[in-house]
Amino acid sequence: MNTQRVASIALMAIVTGIGCGGGRAQDAAARTEDAEQQAANVQLAETPETPVKAIRPAAASAATGGASLQGIVHWSGTAPTREKISMDADPVCQQQHAQAAYKEDVIVNNATLGNVLVYLKEGVSGSYSAPSTPVVLNQAGCMYKPHVAGIRVNQPLQIVNSDSTLHNINAKPTANRPFNVAQPVQGMKTDKTFTKPEVMVKFKCNVHPWMNAYLGVLEHPFFAVTGEDGSFTIAGVPDGTYVLEAWHEVYGAKTQNVTVSGGRVSPVEFTFSAQ
Amino acid sequence: MTWCSPPALRQAIVLRTAMLSLMAWSAFARPAFAERPAPDVAAGRAEYVRSCARCHGVEGAGDGIDAKRFYPRPRDFRLGIYKFRSTASGTAPTDEDLFRTVTHGLPGSNMPDWPHLDESIRWHLVEYLKSLAPIFQEAPAEPMAVAADPGKPHADLAKGRALYEKLGCAACHGPTGRANGSSAGGLVDDWGMPIRPANLAQGWNYRGGSDAESVMRRFLSGIDGAGMPSYAGTISPEDAWHLAYYVVSLQEPPRWNRIARATRVRGELPKAIDHPAWHQAERTDVRLRSVVTTAGEWAKAPTVTQVAFQVLYDEETLAIKLAWDDPTENTQGPADALAVVFKPAGLAGDVVTLQAWPHEGSSALDLWHWSAATKRAGETLSPNFDVITAGGQAAGIERSSAARYADGRWQVVLQRPLASPDLEGGAVLNPDELPTLAFAIWDGSHASERAVSPWIDVALRPLKPVQHAQE
Ligand code: HEC
Ligand code: HEC
Repeated sequence: MNTQRVASIALMAIVTGIGCGGGRAQDAAARTEDAEQQAANVQLAETPETPVKAIRPAAASAATGGASLQGIVHWSGTAPTREKISMDADPVCQQQHAQAAYKEDVIVNNATLGNVLVYLKEGVSGSYSAPSTPVVLNQAGCMYKPHVAGIRVNQPLQIVNSDSTLHNINAKPTANRPFNVAQPVQGMKTDKTFTKPEVMVKFKCNVHPWMNAYLGVLEHPFFAVTGEDGSFTIAGVPDGTYVLEAWHEVYGAKTQNVTVSGGRVSPVEFTFSAQ
Repeated sequence: MTWCSPPALRQAIVLRTAMLSLMAWSAFARPAFAERPAPDVAAGRAEYVRSCARCHGVEGAGDGIDAKRFYPRPRDFRLGIYKFRSTASGTAPTDEDLFRTVTHGLPGSNMPDWPHLDESIRWHLVEYLKSLAPIFQEAPAEPMAVAADPGKPHADLAKGRALYEKLGCAACHGPTGRANGSSAGGLVDDWGMPIRPANLAQGWNYRGGSDAESVMRRFLSGIDGAGMPSYAGTISPEDAWHLAYYVVSLQEPPRWNRIARATRVRGELPKAIDHPAWHQAERTDVRLRSVVTTAGEWAKAPTVTQVAFQVLYDEETLAIKLAWDDPTENTQGPADALAVVFKPAGLAGDVVTLQAWPHEGSSALDLWHWSAATKRAGETLSPNFDVITAGGQAAGIERSSAARYADGRWQVVLQRPLASPDLEGGAVLNPDELPTLAFAIWDGSHASERAVSPWIDVALRPLKPVQHAQE
């Protein structure tokens, strides 16, 4: 199996319109579906380590009108230590981590919180057709990549097994149809779609109980996932008054109202804490 | 149907389709279901309250008064998650799937079979169950397509075995199916309860049927809620049969003898596990039930569910060989352990079973015990099991033993004198009577639980026909 190809597909998906964690632009291109723009983005993201930084501001403003809603999710209190994952149960997993692997549920850096899905919960009008580019949920090193992401209603979800071990993808939505499918062979891909909005759909692997991921299914492109620096940018938000929600798997959800007027909006802040 | 030329076949299909649309309820036409009554949810509800509610709860929430005692726990019907389906993962079962479950029950679980209910009542129950979950409002799910059964003689077991490895069944079920895969211990079902993979050697414990087709349906459809994924699309329809027949070949048909027959040995009585004398000894399988020692908690997933034993003896000594599957070898801390318990003479019938023992004021029983911590056996009289759970410091008199743990299975050989002059008040086994014994087995990794058997008679002399008739 050609892992490089999977990686580049994953990269393409990151760039062309999904929320894969990392303060990156969300699918601003969704309404225009500008193929050339997408191709250009792929090239921009040549360095795999930092694809996000490379594209963030450019993609957001270039693709659409509307405001770029930027913000940061703060953490108040002592930073929780990230929990180590023991992969003893499967040597194939263990071998892929020269250093210890850590859980991705709570990522606190410099008093900011990562892996928070931020999205417009109320106030979006009009309909937005789903991009045909798939969101890729990759299983690599017995971890889900990304750990938190957004996807659009009816946008293809491609689940990839990059490991040479059995994974099963047990998705447990409540509004959408649940499934639990096996991917026993490295390189296997499974395509799924969700037909109804739902925040969040939990994914887990029964074979490797430490593996889980969350996907927010949304009817519009106005969402982002905070990166390791707690920041997010939602591009192309039209004028209007909205309820913005920040969702975290451990610390729950918080909302606030935002108003975009004349294509402008003030930066937004959320604060989470252990209580 | 040899007369079926292609056009005739096509005609038959057209006819079938017409029939199908007439029978609005049914996914496929089968004469057996032609009698299916018009849906009557109220009649289903009435029978449900009568027969099902004590386990599944009055409103179907899986919270009946008896529910906590059972593993797996009774289904919560409001969620629409069903394990034993012929349909794709995440979809509803067909009506026939539900009808089959209600009729045959789920062997190995506490879900009884209901063949004695009128067929029409069973259909009403199906309608009632469907009224409880929104998933049944969607278009009915179709059974997944499967290839024609090649028949057992044409099944390629070597290929099936390779598929078992390739598809990672072993991660949960273990290399030879004894529920001891590397991921077996950490499984949690969709209701948040710990769950164990099935021990594939125990065909009697397959809930959805142990035949090749049922097995194939399980891995193609997945067992929703239980964490076992669907393998649809990862295996060709033909290969699916090879894998299914391979899984069937892992089953070890149990011998539930009502009386265990011992064999008299001339020459040396075997002390070793692999001694050829064991080949002459009849094997008897006994089902074990778990006794959960913490009251009020949900029953846990049992790990030890069956024990096989053989008995050999000579004029003076009795030798017993036991084999039981336990997915983990625990030799320290709470260790794996075993007690062969002799029923005291004069204790009538099943008044005291090990499930209820020890109880307040219970009499002392003769415990012939072995522990994986000490790898030693002993025998003592005790009113409870404390001597064993406390680490089995060879309490009482020491007895000879041999033990081996390999691939999820313990094998233990014990010896003791027929009469036990060395143990005051110990059981005296008279070859002319039927000594009665029972087993208690501990899995060290489930310290709060023990698996116990009912009493079972052991015939040391060849049984006379008269005795059979009495049985
Ligand atoms: C003594 C307790 C008990 C009673 C009484 C009982 N059940 Fe169950 N039932 C169970 C348990 C336990 C399970 C779960 C078994 C499992 O998960 O393997 C179950 C599961 C089921 C399932 C789910 C099968 C699947 O595919 O997931 C159905 C359907 C069902 N029962 C129907 C009924 C009906 C109808 C009745 C009454 C006629 C009934 N049960 C009475 C204990 C009971
Ligand atoms: C992620 C772990 C997992 C994997 C992988 C897995 N199983 Fe299972 N399997 C289970 C669990 C858990 C059960 C028990 C379900 C229950 O008790 O409700 C089970 C039960 C079964 C049963 C018994 C079904 C019944 O009717 O009771 C069969 C047969 C089976 N599995 C076959 C397979 C085969 C063949 C494969 C590989 C193609 C496989 N399983 C892969 C977890 C798994």
